[in-house]
Amino acid sequence: MTQRIFEILRDEILEVDASFTPRSDLVEAGLDSLAVTQLLLALEESTGIWVDESLLTPENLASAEALAACVAGLAE
Amino acid sequence: MRPLVPLTGADCFLRAFDGEVRRSAGASHLSQLVLRLGPGFDPARLRAQLAAAAEEAPILRAPIRRPYGIGAPVYDLRRAASAPAPRVEVWEPREASRGGTSAQRPIPEVFFERLNDRFAAARGELLRADVVPYDGGAAGSDVALTWLHMLFDGSGSEAFVRWLDERFRGVRGPGELPGGDGLGDVAPPPLGAGRGRQAQQWQRQMSGFAARPPRSLAGPLRRVRQALRYELDTYGALETAAIAKRATEKAGFLTPMLYYLAAAIRAHDAVFRARGVDPGAYLVPLPVNLRPKGAEGAVFRTHVSMLWFHVGSEQARDFDGLLAALKAQRRDSIKAGLVEAGVAALDYARFAPSRLYARMARRSFGGELCSFFFAFTDQFLPGVPSFLGAPIENAFHSPSVPTSPGSSAILSVRDGRLNLTHVHQQGVLGEEECALLRRRLREDLLGVA
Repeated sequence: MTQRIFEILRDEILEVDASFTPRSDLVEAGLDSLAVTQLLLALEESTGIWVDESLLTPENLASAEALAACVAGLAE
Repeated sequence: MRPLVPLTGADCFLRAFDGEVRRSAGASHLSQLVLRLGPGFDPARLRAQLAAAAEEAPILRAPIRRPYGIGAPVYDLRRAASAPAPRVEVWEPREASRGGTSAQRPIPEVFFERLNDRFAAARGELLRADVVPYDGGAAGSDVALTWLHMLFDGSGSEAFVRWLDERFRGVRGPGELPGGDGLGDVAPPPLGAGRGRQAQQWQRQMSGFAARPPRSLAGPLRRVRQALRYELDTYGALETAAIAKRATEKAGFLTPMLYYLAAAIRAHDAVFRARGVDPGAYLVPLPVNLRPKGAEGAVFRTHVSMLWFHVGSEQARDFDGLLAALKAQRRDSIKAGLVEAGVAALDYARFAPSRLYARMARRSFGGELCSFFFAFTDQFLPGVPSFLGAPIENAFHSPSVPTSPGSSAILSVRDGRLNLTHVHQQGVLGEEECALLRRRLREDLLGVA
């Protein structure tokens, strides 16, 4: 899941360079209100899970890893 | 920068309503940014900075026109040099305003008068500044920058203030425009078949709203002189923190605007219900900032698209249900590509006569445009503690709203305190209705309704 989120962000949503990793802070990397919804839509398409925006706390947006843990929690 | 700088599609949207406001209300479609400053402000510094800025960025006083009478409108930089620099006027405070801190002082009447003014865009009059010093400035000053709305959007106006201050402090040298302002050179992308389909998609969405048209507090557009005023509610730091926490928990850390929008819809609904009127539906546009990465500091022109939210009045009865509906609409709109479709539609409309554009929008909704205007711009001038040497005690936006819908709710946060500016056409709401609207908004934001 972490890798999938990381790839969606890196390849489709954010304009980032090689320094962007699965542990990079997503807001600092440029994730904004429009981009986060595009991310959620891409995640829904690939996992079938819609993550309600209310779950997107600063902690869950701290990195692709943190967001993946949040999504995995919903899938269980 | 090229001599003829095209207006963006969003600029033209605002220009269309400028034309409508001129014809129907005798004013211009303006926006305003107010800085409430502590001691130490000298109007001469502002005059000097604006004059220098106008030399470096001639768009500040460039006549707006359609070249040869046809085609998309442009800022004509060739004629900017002969236009005067933006005017700065200093006003005596009225008697009731002399004492107290900036939080206690009423908004200067001249700021309302300026918001109802008519600017000569064709002669390059795009921006004016008004200063009200208290005790000669020793007790603080209020400063209003008022501009033709298409010159800057909200983010751009804050970037402009930041730029002026950076020039004053020597942080930014002469000729160094804020980051990304090469955007001033960029023409809108070409209009091909793909963008034509996007524009049609946007048009279909707008037409769909006509099945349940909105009703504003002012009612359909009629010819009446514009007489806008606004009230400012500044929430305390603890209240603001509590509201921000609730907004994040209910709407998300990056998307709190829907929380504020839900509260604004219910605040207007409270007034309708007090009147015993069912408006049927609410239709509200929400600006979406489209500055690309690296261009966050861009000052000039309007870089937005719009998402439209349409809910039945029965949905306004329950805050959480309303918020859920707004979230679903936002998700569906973004999924359907309506942000991009909106840009395409606005870009196409650049070539349409302004009058036709505004008329088409209102014809679909029986003379209405929308229920009210709304914006939540979050942090206001973060990291800018002072302006031209004087501390900023508070700062907020007060954009004009057309006489119909006649009401707008504009929210932003300055130094940890939420500001609500309720801009309204005089006569649209009674005093008790204004108080009810603001009280209901407050109750919903704080979750005490």
